[in-house]
Amino acid sequence: MEKALREELISLFRGKLSGTMEMYLETCARCGICTEACHAYASMPLPKYTPAYRAEVVRRIYKKYFKWQGKTFPRIGECKVLDESAIDELKEAAYSCTGCRRCMVYCPFGIDTQQIMSIAKLLLVGAHAEPELLSLLADVSISKGESMDDLKEGFLEGVKSLESEVVEKWRQEAGRTPIPTEVVGADLLYVALAGAHSIIPAAAIFNAAGENWTLSFFEAVNFGAFVGDPSKTKIIMDRIVNEAKRLKVKEVCICECGTAFRVMSQLSGKQPFKVSSITRVHARYIKEGRIKVDKKKLSVPVTYHDPCQIARNAGVIDEPRYILSQLTDNFVEMSPEPKYNWCCGGGGGLVAMGEETLDFRMKSSRVKADQVRNTGAQVLATACENCHTQLSNINDHYKLGMNVQFLSSLIADALIR
Amino acid sequence: MKTIYFLVLVPMVYLAFAVFLAGVIFQLLKVIKRPAFKPTLAIHPKRNPAFLWAILDALLLPTVWRHKRTLWFFLMAFHISFLMVFLGHLELITEMSWLQVIGHEIFMGQGFLGLIMSLALLYFFFRRFASPTKELSVPEDYLLLMLLFLTVVFGSEMDWARRWYDYGEMSVQEYRAYLSSIFMFKPSIAAVSTSGHSFMLVLHVFFANLFLMFFPFSHLMHSIFGFALNKIRRG
Ligand code: SF4
Ligand code: SF4
Repeated sequence: MEKALREELISLFRGKLSGTMEMYLETCARCGICTEACHAYASMPLPKYTPAYRAEVVRRIYKKYFKWQGKTFPRIGECKVLDESAIDELKEAAYSCTGCRRCMVYCPFGIDTQQIMSIAKLLLVGAHAEPELLSLLADVSISKGESMDDLKEGFLEGVKSLESEVVEKWRQEAGRTPIPTEVVGADLLYVALAGAHSIIPAAAIFNAAGENWTLSFFEAVNFGAFVGDPSKTKIIMDRIVNEAKRLKVKEVCICECGTAFRVMSQLSGKQPFKVSSITRVHARYIKEGRIKVDKKKLSVPVTYHDPCQIARNAGVIDEPRYILSQLTDNFVEMSPEPKYNWCCGGGGGLVAMGEETLDFRMKSSRVKADQVRNTGAQVLATACENCHTQLSNINDHYKLGMNVQFLSSLIADALIR
Repeated sequence: MKTIYFLVLVPMVYLAFAVFLAGVIFQLLKVIKRPAFKPTLAIHPKRNPAFLWAILDALLLPTVWRHKRTLWFFLMAFHISFLMVFLGHLELITEMSWLQVIGHEIFMGQGFLGLIMSLALLYFFFRRFASPTKELSVPEDYLLLMLLFLTVVFGSEMDWARRWYDYGEMSVQEYRAYLSSIFMFKPSIAAVSTSGHSFMLVLHVFFANLFLMFFPFSHLMHSIFGFALNKIRRG
């Protein structure tokens, strides 16, 4: 590796060193308590899949360039020079971690491996060794923000074509559009994903609740966060922040996408609007009596997969359970404690990378498949796009024979007219 | 020989304490001076008051209890013994009546604290030879455990000799004369350099010095950062 590139990477590394990160990197006792926490290791017991081993790939570089030890006794901590082989190791570490933070629950010090992996991902971006597809997707999102006016017409046409399906689920109220857009002063801005499944049920529920809402022009998913590029993450997030400010909305509601919700709720800082997950909004509608759902629709056993970024990492835990208690009398818990729920194995950009990661995703989710199977449920609900795709893949691969559903679809189908 | 005894028991002790203190302060400043990471890193569900739960997490290691029970027993036994032995060392500097609220001999534990610590350290050491902890471990981890083990064994040996083998030559008075002289910056090793067990003390202090100097630059900073990090996890 050329000296200039190495120095650039070291400076990128330095930029990630917050006080907290410094403590994460200084503290690990390599005790291995986190070992079994990782679904990848639990499914494929190879040392390289333990959380601490992954973190150590980054830590060894840290010790080399940011610690006295690296300059004096590099062998004591097995310090690692930043070279091509280090880049390969970083890639393997970062893209076999879904950033689920289950290991953080196990570690006696609460070390956050996802945070440490964010260094690995940034170094890969710096070395142009990140997964190309993720970078490309992030760039597409950014350029969409830049050429909003040119793309608007196509977007509006697409939205229009979905309206009849929304009306099928919930009647059209007089004087209202089934999928409102560009409503200045709306109470709620709904940020969906590209795809009818993310818009139709949500729209039907908003309309049923009599919500004064508007659909965002942008998709919620943040590929910048998946690829670990903080500046792209911010640009992609800011498109939505600016839109919400322009439309003067009171609330930004993020669709069923864990990363999008976490990025928006935890990275957007103080804003004139509040950020909610759609699951929270739906629970609120039911509690306030704004929508009514039919309990008889779901008679088979239903279980719920807590998406890591929404539950363990953002606290939306009680709401989906409340919703399910209104949708069925046959709810089965998946994990005795939601914070211990196994990751589906698809986060961190792995699902977005599609076929390329399918083999690893299936092998590393053996424990998830067992967990799902053991519930004995027939319907597997979740509230995250990534999890839904991954769980559907698991369902096929492990022949679980389940019906994988979005929680919002279950609600939309159970709306009492 | 006298010179070596002197070098280890006086200048090296001062050096070790200076490196330890400066190192710890340096590490703390390094963390404080870095920019703060603003977004929350908490794990849900949260429980209030978070700081109290964080202290309990750091002191009682509930996650280890849940996931690695045997290790938890050894960790607790080691850390509690370490704390008691630390208090014992304070009492070797000078008489501390506040520590004698519950009257006890110096050291507490009838010699068993050292034994518990030695066994725990052996457990910590040898569990590193099993996969996947083996692949995680780096030389630093073994070295620290070895230094601690040697420190503990030679230190305990002095305690065991007095208690279990009626070896009366070096008693609390002699250690106090030496340690208080060090703390008063009027170093004198006369009281502890002539007995047949002096070499035990010299070896104990030697390894303890090395350990102290290594401490701030190793993962042992977990003893301080562990509290802050647990608070961050608790939100
Ligand atoms: S964050 Fe999740 S995937 Fe990554 S190391 Fe920890 S447990 Fe494994
Ligand atoms: S449990 Fe924590 S301290 Fe122990 S190896 Fe894992 S990350 Fe390191």
